[in-house]
Amino acid sequence: MRVTKGARIVAGTALLALAVAACGGGASDSGGTAAGGGETPVRMEIGEPQELLNPQNTTETEGSEVLAAVFSPLVRYDENKQPVEEAAESITTTDSKVWTIKLKSGYTWHDGTPVTAADYARAWNFAALQDNAMSSSYFFGRVDGYEDVHPGEGKTPSAKEMKGLKVVDDSTLEVTLAAPFSQFKTMLGYTAFYPMPKSAIGPDGKVTQAFGEQPIGQGLFKLDKPYKKGTDPTIELSVYDKFPGKKPTGWTKLQFKVYTSSETAWNDLQAENLDIHDSLPATAISTAKQVLGDRYFDEPDASIGYIGTPLKYNKDFQNVDVRKAISMAIDRKTITDTVFSGTRSPADDFINPAIPGYRQGACEACTYNPAEAKKLYEAAGGPKTIELGYNNDGGHKEWIEAVANNLRANLGIEVTPKPFEKFQGILDALDSKEYKGLFRMGWAIDYPAAENYLTPIFGTGAIGTGSNYGGYSNKDFDELVAKGDQATDSAEGLKFYQQADDILLKDLPYIPVYFYRSNFGHSTKVKNVKLNLLNQINWADIEKA
Amino acid sequence: MGRYVIRRLIQAIPVLLGATLLIFCIVFALPGDPIAALFGDKRPDPAIAEVLREQYHLNDPLLLQYWYYISGVLFRGDFGVNFADIPVSQIMAGKFQITLNLALTALTMEAVIGVGLGLWAALRRGKATDTMILASTLLLISVPTLVTGFVLQLLLGVKLKQWTGADIFPVAGTFAGWRSYLLPGFVLAGTSIAYLTRLTRTSLAETLRADYIRTATAKGLSRRRVVGRHGLRNALIPLVTYLGADLGNLMGGAVITETIFNLQGIGNQLFTSVYLREQPVVVGIVTVLVLVYILANLVVDLLYAVLDPRIRYE
Amino acid sequence: MSNPTPPVGPGLPETQTMVSDTVTAPAPHRQGKHKQAKGGKPASLWTDAWYDLRRRPMFILSVVIILILLVMSFWPQLFTSVDPFNARTCDLSTARQGPSAGHLFGRDNLGCDVYARTIYGARNSIVIGVLTTIITTLVGGLFGIVAGYKSGLVDSVSSRLTEVFFAIPPILGALLIAATFRGRANSILLVIIALAVLGWPMTYRIMRAAVITAKSQDFVVAARALGAGAGRIMFRHLLPNSVAPVIVVATINLGGFIAAEAALSFLGVGVLSPDISWGLMIADARDRFLEAPLPLIFPAVFLCVTVLAFIMMGDAVRDALDPKLR
Repeated sequence: MRVTKGARIVAGTALLALAVAACGGGASDSGGTAAGGGETPVRMEIGEPQELLNPQNTTETEGSEVLAAVFSPLVRYDENKQPVEEAAESITTTDSKVWTIKLKSGYTWHDGTPVTAADYARAWNFAALQDNAMSSSYFFGRVDGYEDVHPGEGKTPSAKEMKGLKVVDDSTLEVTLAAPFSQFKTMLGYTAFYPMPKSAIGPDGKVTQAFGEQPIGQGLFKLDKPYKKGTDPTIELSVYDKFPGKKPTGWTKLQFKVYTSSETAWNDLQAENLDIHDSLPATAISTAKQVLGDRYFDEPDASIGYIGTPLKYNKDFQNVDVRKAISMAIDRKTITDTVFSGTRSPADDFINPAIPGYRQGACEACTYNPAEAKKLYEAAGGPKTIELGYNNDGGHKEWIEAVANNLRANLGIEVTPKPFEKFQGILDALDSKEYKGLFRMGWAIDYPAAENYLTPIFGTGAIGTGSNYGGYSNKDFDELVAKGDQATDSAEGLKFYQQADDILLKDLPYIPVYFYRSNFGHSTKVKNVKLNLLNQINWADIEKA
Repeated sequence: MGRYVIRRLIQAIPVLLGATLLIFCIVFALPGDPIAALFGDKRPDPAIAEVLREQYHLNDPLLLQYWYYISGVLFRGDFGVNFADIPVSQIMAGKFQITLNLALTALTMEAVIGVGLGLWAALRRGKATDTMILASTLLLISVPTLVTGFVLQLLLGVKLKQWTGADIFPVAGTFAGWRSYLLPGFVLAGTSIAYLTRLTRTSLAETLRADYIRTATAKGLSRRRVVGRHGLRNALIPLVTYLGADLGNLMGGAVITETIFNLQGIGNQLFTSVYLREQPVVVGIVTVLVLVYILANLVVDLLYAVLDPRIRYE
Repeated sequence: MSNPTPPVGPGLPETQTMVSDTVTAPAPHRQGKHKQAKGGKPASLWTDAWYDLRRRPMFILSVVIILILLVMSFWPQLFTSVDPFNARTCDLSTARQGPSAGHLFGRDNLGCDVYARTIYGARNSIVIGVLTTIITTLVGGLFGIVAGYKSGLVDSVSSRLTEVFFAIPPILGALLIAATFRGRANSILLVIIALAVLGWPMTYRIMRAAVITAKSQDFVVAARALGAGAGRIMFRHLLPNSVAPVIVVATINLGGFIAAEAALSFLGVGVLSPDISWGLMIADARDRFLEAPLPLIFPAVFLCVTVLAFIMMGDAVRDALDPKLR
């Protein structure tokens, strides 16, 4: 996902995590009480979606949040964080390579036509085809035949459809992967895997503007009217009568209120002009605990913040002791408490606590130990000056400065924080060898599996194309991950992934600094608000109080 | 008159083209790939980035891109789309409304407070009131918007509410309707209020020294009538023109105020778009602001002729 | 927004110089006085003005403040023993603590000393203000003289060109320029360039208007009749007789540029950390402003006093050069 909850304020207001207002609020509501029909909707805070509402082109949290209400995923995640069938009747495999997806009957599109396996194949093929430039295309990279439809820059696709997707009958889809992948079922809950109705594609072969403004889904809610991005302050939805799954009791209207500042939304929540706010700002946390009481929640969020080391580019950091010393010199606790006010927690593993497979305290070098750090650093002959790159558009300056101060004071070295316009600027500078320093890096998961913290960031195959920006490469690691992928059940796969994680903890290619937290709260008008692993709300469970 | 307006409009064309081209070049030179910016912390898939670049003409030479853009604006009134295919005109519409509300609030405050204080000072010329008013305008000119914004937000937006319990000035956003604009309107108007006060004072003082005023006084007219009918009316000319031209300045200069008070106007949008490298949005906003500036100045010049019969345009 | 090119004071109603050429330019500033000065009166305009200035308390006060600021920017160590560039003076666990004995202004969000940072912040403000003013005055003044003296094509072209610059809202233009070239040049230099690019047309217009007025006067006609060349006329005769309003505007603008630097730094396109600037400090403190206002208030006060000092000085200079308006 490209915008995480934590970094999201940024999407709205760019560099300035908008100010002020812990005490404002109490203003009269204008953002739309009673959206017609007399029923007051359940009002949920979101930031402005970045794109039109097209599942195959939505890889950021805000648009995903809306689409999750409009579409029903093949799998959802249960209390134990395991995928269970939702729109699918069953998802089976014997070898983790060929997967058979049987659809539940009774699902219809909001225009009344039935949902078929072909609708899934259409969506996935559309997303994968290079010419369509869908941001989610990489999700289908494991499907057999992806290279034919997505051959890469400067090449023309030799097919329009992936040969690994086979529509067996109206309710059965057979997916053949290029190589076994034990976690495939876990992936299927994500936005990119939603189906697409035939009517979404216009005569020019593109998704129509009308669909992007008012997507036709097969989920619990349908949009009442097209959403004009940039103009409309709210997105209005109501329950789709023919939805076969669980429906909320006692209410039928849902409203997403678009905010550009989470502080403003927080004021509105206090004034009860908003019912659910799932990204409370750091500045509001202490007040929120008092004001909301048991309506305030603080749960792990699956994202991680690291300091990346340019292993491939700079031999200064190739000694593991240098990396360990830097890691031990960072006072994670004080940084998460003071700079983030508890909206982050100190990182102690490469796998996030929100995901199965996390082991508390696994990262020994993540414990603050300035004395040991200095000794280790000097013994290893670490560089006397270090640059610390960060992108200036995401509210990272403060914690980077704090880390820099830690390193200066504890290791006795010169540290220069180096701002880049965009994260991409850091990557370009690394590639062109103009920049050889440390850099910040964040990871928000694409699907809730431990494997997602490993392969895309540290796999040898992810150098150049994936997110392995530092160029870390370890054959043992790659082998263990591959063993995990080939396992025939998820739990067995996890064992191998944890062994791969152990290698990372030993090598420390990146230095984990913090885990994100989900800090959310709700008004007195609703109850039973729960977030799932993708930070989406289980709407059917919510009751009006 | 008609011919004059047409000539002025024709003269405005090179200014419009020049300003948009200038902005286009600057934006074109903005570092960072706008397509890559769409992908956040992920490395963009080069194949997809390439398709998108082709789609938005980003591989074409600068002047050709400018031509695509300006021909759309001039011949079809089409400001193009941003990199998420949202029409720029749709993005701008709502934001311009907010900035216009803000600028008009500021303008009203300028007119009422500025002219009022200036009048007062002019009539008490050389006395303590005059000195006081002059000193406070100096202060108002000197305190940057950045500071007035935060200080008033803290004092009137937050502390006032804590002390009195009355929520008069909302701290941020536009959720409280017209009241949301009071505080930011004043902050934005600050410097202009001070200038207008001084301008009113000088202008009226100068007018009151004119011969016809002396004649009017000699004729035995009451002071009220002399000042009100003869003095003020002529002193108004520079004030009206100042106000007219200031509308454009206020709209273009609102970015700090909008940022402090979280008003989602064009200043804020432009700022965001610069960071997202949304070239079409940046150029679109600046184009409209340039148009506002040109039109405001034209209206001001015409107002001149209306107010001062000695000026004739051929 | 504090306009980087603040409209001039009441003596030069900006709208009148800004509108079109078809409208007659406002009455020339100080026309009568120039004649007197040239008429061989013993006290020149400048001695007059200096005599006048020395007797103005506002002028004295502003000069004293400016001198203190100058000392502060060259020798900040005289005012504080804390070196804000030394990380060991910051302690994150003391972040946002209020004023205490060793830390008069309290600590900021990173636990650094606000007082020391505020003192060290003076230098960039002063440097940027002064250099930008010098550049805009030289560039705008030079173009102004030439355009005013050589009417016709040169004048029309350069006047259209300035109109293009005038049509772009200054702060947005500066924001764009600074964002564009960021990272390719020293951040302080970049601020100066961004402000200067959008600031020079103001000086240009004032210079041009003054030159146009001066050039029709007898002494210029006489000089030309005696065969003086264009350069001589421009720089020996026109310049001294039209420079007064430019000086006034330059002094007032200096304060405006300092405020504009703070605005740009606040928006994140001005001075960059680890350099210190008041605008940057304000930006850094804003998120926690309501929790801890002091790290924002102190640099803001310094900023205000600095801008006020320069504007007060400009105001006094204007009054001295243009007694009619007193």
